[in-house]
Amino acid sequence: MKRITALLCLLVSLSASAASFDYGLKPVEVAENTWFIEGRTEDFSVENGGNIVNTAFIATGDGVLVLDTGVSRRYGEALLEAIQSVTDEPIRMVINTHQHPDHFLGNQAFQDVPIVSLAETQQQIRNHGDSFAENMYRLVGDWMRGTEVVVPTETLEPGVQQMGSHRLEWIRMSGHSGADLVLFDHSTGVLFPFDMVFYQRALTTPHTPGLQQWRDEIAQLRQYPFKLMLPGHGPMVSDQRALDQMDAYLVWLDKTLRDTAEQGLSMTEVMQLPIPSEFDSIALREVEFQRSVVHLFPAYEEAAFGR
Amino acid sequence: MQMFRSGLVGLLALLFTGVLQAGTPDDPLNSVMWDYTRKIFLGDADYRFEPRIKVEVPAFAEDPAQVPISIDASAFAGEIERIVVWADLNPIQHIFDYYPIKNANGRVSLRIKVQQSTAVRAAVLTKSGSWHIGYAQLEAAGGGCTTPSMGNADPYWQSHLGEVQARRFSNAEGEGSRLKLRVIHPMDTGLVDAIPEFYLQQLELRNGAGEVQIRMELSQPVSENPVISFDLDEDTTGYTLWLRDNGGNEFTRPL
Repeated sequence: MKRITALLCLLVSLSASAASFDYGLKPVEVAENTWFIEGRTEDFSVENGGNIVNTAFIATGDGVLVLDTGVSRRYGEALLEAIQSVTDEPIRMVINTHQHPDHFLGNQAFQDVPIVSLAETQQQIRNHGDSFAENMYRLVGDWMRGTEVVVPTETLEPGVQQMGSHRLEWIRMSGHSGADLVLFDHSTGVLFPFDMVFYQRALTTPHTPGLQQWRDEIAQLRQYPFKLMLPGHGPMVSDQRALDQMDAYLVWLDKTLRDTAEQGLSMTEVMQLPIPSEFDSIALREVEFQRSVVHLFPAYEEAAFGR
Repeated sequence: MQMFRSGLVGLLALLFTGVLQAGTPDDPLNSVMWDYTRKIFLGDADYRFEPRIKVEVPAFAEDPAQVPISIDASAFAGEIERIVVWADLNPIQHIFDYYPIKNANGRVSLRIKVQQSTAVRAAVLTKSGSWHIGYAQLEAAGGGCTTPSMGNADPYWQSHLGEVQARRFSNAEGEGSRLKLRVIHPMDTGLVDAIPEFYLQQLELRNGAGEVQIRMELSQPVSENPVISFDLDEDTTGYTLWLRDNGGNEFTRPL
């Protein structure tokens, strides 16, 4: 009896530990041949394994186009399995949309195909990739085990390209991280702005060249006649509401930083300001606002010295 | 009977001492380095922990080399001899001393470096000689003290060392003003291999008559190109800033 109990305990604990690193990725077909895997609108943690990002893929008819590879080697492997569970097409190409670690650290699972990014992104990952990975290990723990940086192997230029039955337009933007790739699929009407758009999850500013730049590019995104928009973080939308939210938040952030610098507030005082109730639906806004103050306020302070 | 009575008196004295005097109370943050650091900065003096002294820190140190903190000891305005600010778990604990000599109300902000999550202390010595300790716990990933300054890779500071930008802002309540300034200086800690310590050590804010209003003694954990703001009781002009670094460089700048 004791031996059976011990065996049962062992089995339970083994299955628990095996299950504890399962990202549970569930691709959802949101348009023709187009699959969306939505992450949580949370911050990185050991509980969620860093699955706070959206990835997507298109089974083009001439191979699968993979859009970002997630936060860790395990995520990349889970993503590959998820792709193979819904299509027999081989992987044709992997895209890293920008330099942030939750978008490219799954590259190891895709090393037999081209891993493609903007040239600037490739350089940024070369420069920062290792310290990003270290940071992820600290934030997310053992989910990251075995994860190493794989720098994109090829670069692409903005422009239109036919892949299988999909006419794809690649657009270069910069407002989020200095080099941000956006995709518009003319054949399905799906717009993939990746981290140029955060919806219902506060935007992050560690590498933004400037809030006005980001706003200008959000305005450009409105020109695309999209039927569906898949943001980099947060749920998909079929109208301009995500762009409206981005614009409203960017306007408020810019004005707040400028006004408080003009009033001579110190950084801790700015961080304590309440966030307007119009943004109540945006997850993580308090913590991301504090981070944005650290990233951006010094430049506003310097401008205020000049006046 | 005699022993019992003196024992009882002794016990009562002990109880009363705990209630009425400062003594050496336990650290509410339970920092392993509290006792060691307070002996360095307070010696054997009595002290009390004082929630009216505000040590404002962010929820997390996004950049451990530029962590904004604000000290607000204005509850003791007019009574402050000096404020000593330190971080228990920094390799160099002392951050700065602040002497509000004239017209300063005990509120000061700047950015600091932290090496890891740590208690941050603001110990206020009153003119009557008692110590009151403000405190806060700062969470950080760390490494701020052992990361090279940006100036190490960028020669901008070499031709701009000691340059000051400053502006006076009226206080929201309409009384007094805030002086905010920024100084170009690498503030190298000396804890990075092959980079010697090089940091501003002394700061004085002098009025038009040359009288010192505020004096500060800075240590290496003050951030690179420090941005410091003081709250002043008056809203006057004609201030001069004097600075001296550990290399003996002196800078005098009218504000």
